[in-house]
Amino acid sequence: MGLKDYLYDIWEAVATTAKGMRITARYGVDPRETITLQYPEERWEPSERFRGFLYNDIKTCTSCTMCVRVCPVDCISLESVRGADKKMVLASYDIDIGRCMYCGLCVEVCPPKSLKHTSGYEKASVDRGELILHFIHEDAGEIKARVAKQVAEAAAKAEAEKAKAESEKAEAEKAEDGEPDSRAAQKDAPPSAQPAAPADAAGNPEDGGAAEKKPGEEKE
Amino acid sequence: MMESLAISLVDALPVLSGVPLWTITLLVMVMVAAVVLTFALTYSGLATYVERKVAGDIQARVGPNRVGPVGILQFLADGIKLLLKEDIIPAKADRFLFVLAPYLVFIGSFAAFVVVPFGVGLIASDLNIGIYYLMAITSLVVVGVMLAGWSSNNKWALLGGMRAAAQIVSYEIPVGMALLPAVLIAGSLSLQDIVRSQGGLFGIFGWNLFHNPFTFLSFFLYYVAALAETNRTPFDIPEAESELVSGYHVEYSGIRFAFFFLAEYGDMFVVSALATACFLGGWHVPFLDAEALPALWGNLLSLGVFLGKTLSLVVLMMWIRWTLPRLRVDQLMRMAWKYLVPLTFVNLLGVSLWLLLFHGEGIPRMIASLFG
Repeated sequence: MGLKDYLYDIWEAVATTAKGMRITARYGVDPRETITLQYPEERWEPSERFRGFLYNDIKTCTSCTMCVRVCPVDCISLESVRGADKKMVLASYDIDIGRCMYCGLCVEVCPPKSLKHTSGYEKASVDRGELILHFIHEDAGEIKARVAKQVAEAAAKAEAEKAKAESEKAEAEKAEDGEPDSRAAQKDAPPSAQPAAPADAAGNPEDGGAAEKKPGEEKE
Repeated sequence: MMESLAISLVDALPVLSGVPLWTITLLVMVMVAAVVLTFALTYSGLATYVERKVAGDIQARVGPNRVGPVGILQFLADGIKLLLKEDIIPAKADRFLFVLAPYLVFIGSFAAFVVVPFGVGLIASDLNIGIYYLMAITSLVVVGVMLAGWSSNNKWALLGGMRAAAQIVSYEIPVGMALLPAVLIAGSLSLQDIVRSQGGLFGIFGWNLFHNPFTFLSFFLYYVAALAETNRTPFDIPEAESELVSGYHVEYSGIRFAFFFLAEYGDMFVVSALATACFLGGWHVPFLDAEALPALWGNLLSLGVFLGKTLSLVVLMMWIRWTLPRLRVDQLMRMAWKYLVPLTFVNLLGVSLWLLLFHGEGIPRMIASLFG
């Protein structure tokens, strides 16, 4: 190593140190360079399309179970029963936000657009159970019982009306004939039994959903 | 110094005239020691806070800001935490040496405050071998660090201790060589004499820094070597978190760890104070003659100026720490022996020749004499 290299090394050490110190001085002095957010006092505003916690507007939800089927991590669970007016009634709708990976597939697939991402991102809990978001606060059993009761009432009412109509008809027919009584009873039986049967089947939609999803996955 | 203080105290308070002089002298000594120690500890605490703030600013963070206004009481919270922490001594450690080591480091660093010239009359003891004493007493730190590394019975600690010893011993040489120009110019080892030799010329151009080109270079050589002697980044290989966990004090906890920590910041101050006293005019107030002022104002102003200069150098050390990466061991040794030692030797030779040729006159004084 010649003297020239030796002196050059010294010069380089001084120059590079000065360069580095100029950079750190800029960061140190310029308040705009401070990027820390004083979190509890200042909050980060998520952008418009931020995928935060999921929110399901249960009033518009049709319990179609599309979200349950599409979820890659199976974090959505849904229970529903068919109500008296033939529409599905949600018994429970839970999202395990601790398992959710915020892929947004459920939101994309939701036909009535009831499932949405909110801007929420603050959730800390001491228990994993707290991470499950319940969108229906009533007990699922109570809802099912209530719906079943409503269905039964409606069926009873329908039966009563049918019976009433039939008796009227029978009376009218009696006046004429009296024969087709048994035929009418056979025809009426299936509609009155139908509302009860799907309610049983929908009792555990997860099983049905999983069973239906499997072939779908194989197709893909 | 202490005796004269004691005599003036007796003169001021006639009640004390019955008491033997040596008791009062002892009392004064203890009081001065307490004042200096209190200052040193307060400074060390605040320096840790400032260090963290500087680090935060440089890294685009905020730094401590929760305890007290803008986090200024953080060091008290840290101190209380360290006091309350469990004091762990490893089972296989050499208990006596393990306990002794932090005190040696602490003493080595804080005993140096004795000869720091804070102001016109503010010096605990103006030893006539001030610089020599300072260099000697700060070497005690090496012993403490070595003991800490050895007694911990931990391979990281031992490696750290060995590195510290190698480093501090190597860098003592350039530190001493770089300080010698100031001694040569003043013709004295006493720090007060060295400071006094830099007076006049608006209190700025009398500084040894501007005396001649060699002293100018000498200041920077001293500063770099001193930085290495205090074991701070970029020369912190004895601690080297990323390779030695935290080096020689890896096994220390609680208040013993705090001693190492305080000693490090104490060292920074001493080194900066020495640089100030030897090259930056010490307590000389710009545009004023501190010694000609009334005693109170002279002392206060000179204390302020001295602390201002010294603490600026301390902050500069922090700035360097958070800018530069750590050197490798071989790079560190190369820097000491191949660059700093030869350069300081050449420098010393240059200063000596200058003093011989120009009869001790500095460039500013020559220019001043041209204008009469």
